[in-house]
Amino acid sequence: MKANGNISRRQFVSMSAVAGLGLALAGCGSTGGSSSTSDSGSGSSASGKVYYLNFKPEVDSQWQELAKAYTKETGVEVSVVTAASDTYEQKLQSEMSKSSAPTLFQVNGPIGLKSWKDYCADLTGTDILNELTNDNLALKDGDKVLGIDYVEEDYGIIYNKDLLTKAGYKESDITSFGTLKKVADDIQARKDELGVKGAFTSAGMDSSSNWRYTTHLANMPIYYEFVKDDEEQTGTDAIKGTYLDNYKQIYDLYITDSTTDPAQLASKTGDDANNEFVNGEAVFYQNGSWAWADISKKLGEDKVGMLPIYIGVDGEEKQGLCSGGENYWCVNSQASEEDQKATLDFLKWVVTSDTGTKSLASDMGLNCPFKSAKEPDNPFSKIAKQMISDGKTSVNWDFVWIPSEQWKSDLSNALTKYAAGTDKWDAVKTAFVDGWKTESEANAE
Amino acid sequence: MQREKITNRILTVVFTVLSLAWIYPMVMILVNSFKQNTAITTGTAFNPVTAETSAGIANYISALTKQGFAAAFGYTLVITLTSVALILVCCSMCAWYVVRVNNKFCKALYYLFVFSMVVPFQMLMFTLSSLADSMGLNTPYNICFIYLGFGAGLAVFMFAGFVKTIPLEIEEAATIDGCSPVQTFFHVVLPIMKPTYISVGILETMWVWNDYLLPYLVLDSTKYKTIPILIQYFRGGYGHVELGPMMACIMMTILPIIIVYLLCQRFIISGVVSGAVKG
Amino acid sequence: MVKSLRKWWPLFLLPTALSFAFGFVIPFVEGLYLSFCRFISISNPKFVGISNYVAALADPQFAHSFWLTALFTIVITVLINVIALAIALCFTRKGLKGSNGFRTVFFMPNLIGGIVLGYIWQILINGVLTIVGQQLLALNTVAGFWGLVILMLWQQVGYMMIIYIAGLQSIPSDYLEAAKVDGATAWQTLWKVKIPNLMPTITICLFLTITNGFKLFDQNLALTGGAPDHSTELLALNIYNTFYARAGAKWMGIGQAKAVIFCILVICISMIQLRATQSKEVQQ
Repeated sequence: MKANGNISRRQFVSMSAVAGLGLALAGCGSTGGSSSTSDSGSGSSASGKVYYLNFKPEVDSQWQELAKAYTKETGVEVSVVTAASDTYEQKLQSEMSKSSAPTLFQVNGPIGLKSWKDYCADLTGTDILNELTNDNLALKDGDKVLGIDYVEEDYGIIYNKDLLTKAGYKESDITSFGTLKKVADDIQARKDELGVKGAFTSAGMDSSSNWRYTTHLANMPIYYEFVKDDEEQTGTDAIKGTYLDNYKQIYDLYITDSTTDPAQLASKTGDDANNEFVNGEAVFYQNGSWAWADISKKLGEDKVGMLPIYIGVDGEEKQGLCSGGENYWCVNSQASEEDQKATLDFLKWVVTSDTGTKSLASDMGLNCPFKSAKEPDNPFSKIAKQMISDGKTSVNWDFVWIPSEQWKSDLSNALTKYAAGTDKWDAVKTAFVDGWKTESEANAE
Repeated sequence: MQREKITNRILTVVFTVLSLAWIYPMVMILVNSFKQNTAITTGTAFNPVTAETSAGIANYISALTKQGFAAAFGYTLVITLTSVALILVCCSMCAWYVVRVNNKFCKALYYLFVFSMVVPFQMLMFTLSSLADSMGLNTPYNICFIYLGFGAGLAVFMFAGFVKTIPLEIEEAATIDGCSPVQTFFHVVLPIMKPTYISVGILETMWVWNDYLLPYLVLDSTKYKTIPILIQYFRGGYGHVELGPMMACIMMTILPIIIVYLLCQRFIISGVVSGAVKG
Repeated sequence: MVKSLRKWWPLFLLPTALSFAFGFVIPFVEGLYLSFCRFISISNPKFVGISNYVAALADPQFAHSFWLTALFTIVITVLINVIALAIALCFTRKGLKGSNGFRTVFFMPNLIGGIVLGYIWQILINGVLTIVGQQLLALNTVAGFWGLVILMLWQQVGYMMIIYIAGLQSIPSDYLEAAKVDGATAWQTLWKVKIPNLMPTITICLFLTITNGFKLFDQNLALTGGAPDHSTELLALNIYNTFYARAGAKWMGIGQAKAVIFCILVICISMIQLRATQSKEVQQ
């Protein structure tokens, strides 16, 4: 009975060994682990702590370094936790109810602010606000400034210079939708001769890629309507869809002059499009300055350029790239006074100190709209700046007024079906216009 | 007996074929873990590794050197071992008590356990993480109590099911022989339930080892990560996924579990109640 | 023995019950309270009465998700249990070569966590759909539904098989020998001896497949994401989308209310199932 029922000595020893191994790994890992809480020995007279919930997973290690550097310099404890992709809201909600909630977090714009208004401290008069170069980048609620946009990004149609030249064109040939279409159609017709699979990369509609069309491309008709009706600062509860025909023609161009059959687009991913572009299978690739990190692995700075997204509106020769921000820093108003002050001091340091600005620009590759910001090593940001000095008008990121994620996913559905030929463009129009109204109503308090 | 032998042979063949199909998706992960990122797309995922798409073991190295892999592995191991041990010991005892005593309170408790298995995690994920935080149960060393609490439902339910199959006479015989309840449990019930312990143990290990959401929300994120959480970090913002290292990481996560499972296999074979009452 | 066992409750009952109270009961009750509130962070809820429930029940998508999930659960419960039992019976035969290896293989799918599994199967199914010239998953409700069924089958059959094997192995061998002596065929042995003694196991497996079917989330999100047009959106995904697809405090509360309604529905269904099978259980 005893031999059957009890664990044999050998098994017990091996189980303890495994448990010991686990503890050892955990032990040796925690010293080099991904936190950056300060050692107690470096001047703990500094009060207040900073806890930043970071949104961008790809720059997590850079923020950890930056936090360590700040703690070393000032003795103030800084923890940085990065939410996994697509889980920011969930993580933020969970962390906010804990005893040590984040003191610094971010919202994506006026819609996100609706949820977190009561948790955002008023930043009027703070140093960090003073460092902002553009007042439009302060997220306001009435008179209060509740968020500060900390990254300015640009997007447009990235193109491969060598391939474009090979096709016999120059960037200056493309100044409007008409010319864009002409060049793209020509390249598509001669694609075998040029050795490409299509003019545009696949306009993938899976979740890693569809935002480029439901948000970024959709921005174009939204922007022009807002400009026409003067709704830039306030958004609207009912979009009219005045420029939807233009939206249709650019989307049609993307899916016909493409590397991929439109019916296959449903499964194409963001990585697919990127790979097509860097492998020279397509000439044009709609994306933004953040894509540089991936593109630069195979193509050099002199090999790429960025064109504005033309959709066929009068006067678009003066149109530049789409520039704006979707990342607004907010300080937790429910945190203690000490922690809030420590956070503001940290932010000021990040955007003014040498270490901070260098990290933001060179290590993270971010273009930050602050007075002391350094230039990131990003050709697309340079192109955007150049266009502005050439007198082109930037297109604002008016998609921040899109009423909900639900609208984006419904639009994505409609576009995918349209591309596959199972539904007409009218369904897209319905999703765009009627959907906007329904979603705005759903948002109403 | 000829017929049985032939049936066995046919079954062996059928299952060999089925097994190959069954295992195919995992083979896909294995194969893709040796490819470069650019070669893992919806079109090419089925293709075997070629010289130009091969990334050698670069993906594995990248996954291993990714910040905190060893630590995450250690934490996951600690959490799994403590939680499973705690669940097996506590829930088996609880289940036996509940089934044998069977009064109103036990019945109510049993149905409460069953009810807990139906509740979707989303309903209490925020309240649970907040409670765990206020009780300080947010480190890998004490999160096992949360797992015991949250996993008690399933474990008690399964143990209870098997306790009901144990002939009462065996336990009565032990009591007549002078055993206290504790002795009866450890010397009579536990040995009989060995297959159950192994089965429940494997199932609980699967759950805790692979669990993503509970540690993500409950553990103190400034200090601790587990492997499933780490795997999610291969997905960057803007939809970019480092598929190669992610696949490598998945393979490395599966391997220990396969080893544990193979070791436990031997115990599943033995353990048939051999009619101790009659014999 | 029961009399003397009763007083041992601190040892046998207390640890589990206490952890259960903290790990489940209290968060559940708090979650229940939240379903009557609006909140963003759970530390500041605002009580609003039953308006969340009204909104939840009025949502047509919620009803659609419910019926879809019910259909899905029935399909997989039947398929998984029949297949798992059949396989378990095969793998407990004496003399079946390689049964250990097979058991391992069939159980392996369980080793991979939910979301990643969904992505891999998405690539697989889209690949197959392309070959047969059908619409891809994002556009194909039928393929999405059956894709989910196959995925669940692949993952859960091994799990249930383990439980059935344990159950089969705990049937006293004298029952089986007695049947043989009496000249019963394999089929008769199955229905008259094995299955009645397996009832507790069947109870467990049926219960698990039903609850797993209703609670399915990770794989649903990864495989179809509810596409097209929420037609493959099961209940848990619907609740998740209620939380996050729109900004604003009221949606969190409505999501909680949906989760509570979900619990009540599933518990009713499971209670019926448990009553039915437990009445057939035989205490030896």
